[in-house]
Amino acid sequence: MDPEQINEFVVGYLKKKGFSSAAKDLEAYHHHNNNGSSFTSTDYHNDPELTKLIRSFSQQEDDPTRYREGYSNLRSWAYNSLDLYKHELLRVMYPVFIHCYMDLVGKGHTQEARGFFNSFRRDHEMVHLRDLQKLEGVLAPSHLEEMEFARSLRKSKVNIKISQYSYDLLIQYLQRTKSTLMLGIINEHINFQVYSGQPTPSSDDIEAVTIFGSFQDTANHINQKEIQWGLLEDSLEDRLEKTGGLLSDSEKGQGESKDGDADDSKKRSTEIGKQGSSLKKLKKDKAGNATAKVARLETITVPPAPRVKPELALPVMSTDVEQSILEDLRNRVQLSSVAMPSVSFYTFVNTHNGLNCSSISHDGSLVAGGFSDSSIKVWDMAKIGQAGSGVLQGENDTNDQIMGPNGRRSYTLLLGHSGPVYSATFSPPGDFVLSSSADTTIRLWSTKLNANLVCYKGHNYPVWDVQFSPFGHYFASCSHDRTARIWSMDRIQPLRIMAGHLSDVDCVQWHPNCNYIATGSSDKTVRLWDVQTGECVRIFVGHRSMVLSLAMSPDGRYMASGDEDGTIMMWDLSTARCITPLMGHNSCVWSLSYSGEGSLLASGSADCTVKLWDVTSSTKLTKAEAKNGNTNRLRSLRTFPTKSTPVHALRFSRRNLLFAAGALSKPAS
Amino acid sequence: MSIVPKETVEVIAQSIGITNLLPEAALMLAPDVEYRVREIMQEAIKCMRHSKRTTLTASDVDGALNLRNVEPIYGFASGGPFRFRKAIGHRDLFYTDDREVDFKDVIEAPLPKAPLDTEIVCHWLAIEGVQPAIPENAPLEVIRAPAENKIHEQKDGPPIDVRLPVKHVLSRELQLYFQKIAELAMSKSNPALFKEALVSLASDSGLHPLVPYFTNFIADEVSNGLKDFRLLFNLMHIVRSLLQNPHIHIEPYLHQLMPSVVTCLVSRKLGNRFADNHWELRDFASNLVALICKRYGPVYITLQSRLTRTLVNALLDPKKALTQHYGAIRGLAALGHNIVRLLILSNLEPYLSLLQPELDAEKQKNQMKNYEAWRVYGALLRAAGLCIHDRLKIFPPLPSPSPSFLHKGKGKIINTDPHKRKLSIDSSENQSPQKRLITMDGPDGVQSQDQSGSAPMQVDNPVENDNPPQNSVQPSSSEQASDANESESRNGKVKESGRSRAITMKAILDQIWKDDLDSGRLLVKLHELYGDRILPFIPSTEMSVFL
Repeated sequence: MDPEQINEFVVGYLKKKGFSSAAKDLEAYHHHNNNGSSFTSTDYHNDPELTKLIRSFSQQEDDPTRYREGYSNLRSWAYNSLDLYKHELLRVMYPVFIHCYMDLVGKGHTQEARGFFNSFRRDHEMVHLRDLQKLEGVLAPSHLEEMEFARSLRKSKVNIKISQYSYDLLIQYLQRTKSTLMLGIINEHINFQVYSGQPTPSSDDIEAVTIFGSFQDTANHINQKEIQWGLLEDSLEDRLEKTGGLLSDSEKGQGESKDGDADDSKKRSTEIGKQGSSLKKLKKDKAGNATAKVARLETITVPPAPRVKPELALPVMSTDVEQSILEDLRNRVQLSSVAMPSVSFYTFVNTHNGLNCSSISHDGSLVAGGFSDSSIKVWDMAKIGQAGSGVLQGENDTNDQIMGPNGRRSYTLLLGHSGPVYSATFSPPGDFVLSSSADTTIRLWSTKLNANLVCYKGHNYPVWDVQFSPFGHYFASCSHDRTARIWSMDRIQPLRIMAGHLSDVDCVQWHPNCNYIATGSSDKTVRLWDVQTGECVRIFVGHRSMVLSLAMSPDGRYMASGDEDGTIMMWDLSTARCITPLMGHNSCVWSLSYSGEGSLLASGSADCTVKLWDVTSSTKLTKAEAKNGNTNRLRSLRTFPTKSTPVHALRFSRRNLLFAAGALSKPAS
Repeated sequence: MSIVPKETVEVIAQSIGITNLLPEAALMLAPDVEYRVREIMQEAIKCMRHSKRTTLTASDVDGALNLRNVEPIYGFASGGPFRFRKAIGHRDLFYTDDREVDFKDVIEAPLPKAPLDTEIVCHWLAIEGVQPAIPENAPLEVIRAPAENKIHEQKDGPPIDVRLPVKHVLSRELQLYFQKIAELAMSKSNPALFKEALVSLASDSGLHPLVPYFTNFIADEVSNGLKDFRLLFNLMHIVRSLLQNPHIHIEPYLHQLMPSVVTCLVSRKLGNRFADNHWELRDFASNLVALICKRYGPVYITLQSRLTRTLVNALLDPKKALTQHYGAIRGLAALGHNIVRLLILSNLEPYLSLLQPELDAEKQKNQMKNYEAWRVYGALLRAAGLCIHDRLKIFPPLPSPSPSFLHKGKGKIINTDPHKRKLSIDSSENQSPQKRLITMDGPDGVQSQDQSGSAPMQVDNPVENDNPPQNSVQPSSSEQASDANESESRNGKVKESGRSRAITMKAILDQIWKDDLDSGRLLVKLHELYGDRILPFIPSTEMSVFL
């Protein structure tokens, strides 16, 4: 072998590895040498072993088929391994697969990469479909650089828990077959956490197979932080319990409650006179009142949620508002798996596919819809109730009736945004509406003046969601720019910016004690943030697709999140563990809501149903579950199908009447 | 390599005016194009999700382009999703139906209706966990087991709230409703209220759970109450209301309902008093039968054939009472003209010969029997007449009717022209004499056509009342014309016009006979059997030509 060939190999190798300047130097050096005296040592010229090595080195590096061979060998080996260890070994396959693919792409073998991807993607489609869809488009080295997801995958290591024996098997196999390429990939991108003993059952796979990007360790670390999930001290619930105790034994209290009833009945009939069946409702309220009293005595025996101090300066509530809320809470119907709520459904008709979001005020009297034509429309249900008594008589004739005598619009039109409105939220007393839009702004509207008051600019991309805090004044927003922000009504700059999600932040929800917000993201995680410090305090991993909706239990202990696939997960905030996945919906879960005392969870979905879930039993059961293993985890109580209306919004009123809203959509023929 | 072939890139390059694109460049661009498209789609899906939709629209793509700071592609925004069609011969090639529109058409088209404004409609999706049966809610599929049972099965873990199986599936309101209706049907004392009840039965949407109860009730009462004429009539009215109710799916219960209806049609004796107009009840039932067959015949293929068999058996059994024959004829007639032609007309001659002695008042001394026989005869006549009328109707119009023939507003007949034109000119010439026949005797023709059009539906208005003379009169053939005249005069129900034209008719019919046409033959046969009485069924505007 003559030296020039060797030089060629070396230069080629250097170039391939990216050491282009070194290669140039070398070339120049050799050039120079050839001209001058040859003082290169020749002792390796005649060494055939070395030549072979060098040759194979340059060839191997070049050969894209090695990836396919290596992977398919590893795959067939893993599939033929012992059943006991098989699922652990198969877990390794996915990271190897995507890294093989990205290596191929990175080296410019686009065609081979595509072929490789298509021949093995089926193995991973079930669990990782969405990731694969993202990666499928990556076809050039520049894409790898550009795409956040790919970049974070490349940078980070995947943690895989694996039993000692499985690990040994794997390493032995790789060494025996001299598949250095696979070994290299595994070494480079997988971080094995080897434990002694038998492999764990495969049911715990969910966490193990999720690729988190860079934050697996940090996630564990973050989730160790302490959080105060209790309710605020001196909150209305707190006061209610005290007054409730008074009420049950003092005459004065009873007199008060009677007055309250009368007041309340008046208010009700004006407020929600729409159904024309207010009589029935009143009756029910009274019945509910009685049961509520009884049930309250019971609930007191349950240890109440711990009380925490507010970290924000909270707005002072006027006594009128406070009284009415207390009254509502007193008259709350106690719900359980045997006492179901009534559901009042607001159907938007003639939306022409333009309704993007809807929101219901806390008492159900106001309904807002955000439209893709940038408008917001607010309906006062009490007025509609007065205008036409025949509202309930069917969709066909209502239009004329509501438009009715004077031909005026039945809603208030709020114009101001310059892009589709993606979210709207009512302040707790219902006097303000916040809306967020694709024009990157958030606007504050007054329902009394029917006018725009403030425009909050801060986000750089469409604002997907905005939510008022449970006490008003503060609100949280989240956006395509991957941040969530905390605002107060009187400042046009955000107070806090929460950054950390790896993709769009799609939904946001306040914790009942106002000290935390939760955000759901397209990176398939839910995070909990401390409002005061702006730090991430919990990461909830387990969803397999974009998180679309969030709800916090009224006692602040649990959180529910719904995703694009129809899965709802119940989380324990303190441990960041999923208590139970609630399966049943087969399309996007747009909305979630806990009942007033937290015993029921309502979910509204694109599959045109409202489902009720018994969450008391599911939280209790976990203790029992720990003892006797697996029990039936499904606790769906009821399914209420609508005719053809995807359910966009849900809200339990303070008295536990469930309001739902959605736009009637003609089924595609 | 990329799912975007390099040819696509080349074509697009050409379309935007780049002619000197190197093939290598196209090859390099293709993967990037794919990546960008995927990127845009990913963002578009996000926009779609946040618009709370599950169908991707052009506006979502525009939104995604906006997110990437790319100028949106204008002109594709539309309210709904695109409808894609499959290209013939290609498995996975689709296109949108984008028709070329004539500018003139667009300008001349009337302004479209303004879209309806968005509204909110409010209803109870559930009341204390139970979905009320109102039109706004999804209809209950079938009567299903109470939901409590399901929960019971579902939970076999420790915390079960065991509930006894629920005895009453029906809500209290529905039970009361059922009782009230049943009471009204039985009592017969308050016709006004019963009418209201029928309206409610025909229009209320929440009654589906009651359907099995009603069918049961009807079946029971019909089998028990054959002597109670009013009750039977009420029950049939209930059946009709249930059939009319658009919110009720009555198909699963038809097999229970049909026997009751057929009973009311062909039972030997309905009601126990002489005054009971059981003929009317039979007519009503026959209309119900027709309604059921028309609506559910296509779904239940065996329905009509079974029904027809039952009726034909009743008709062809000479041992059966005349009342039964009458019912069978009415039932068959209600099933349509084809049935009549196949089953009645083919048996007409032997049957009439059997009926003949009964018709003859001298031979049949029992006046009641005689009356019944005439009723049967009338029904037969009407069935045959409507059948022949229907057949004649399909013939083409005369090539050149003189204007004078088109007097007296024969709108009906002229309106049917488009159908008639389908026949060839040839046949129209052949049938011209017949056509003249068709178009003669205008008023009656129109009248009978009215009947044939609406008879199956118009139940309140039993049709034979329109033609009393025909039903209650007449010997059976023209040979017995003198007898016929005598009997007519005896009965005092003479149709004068028919008689006066009898001779002319004979001539015309003979002429048709010469034309050797199927219908002509049939007509002649009918004429032979019935004499003039068939004539009112034969529409005509051109009587005068032959007179």
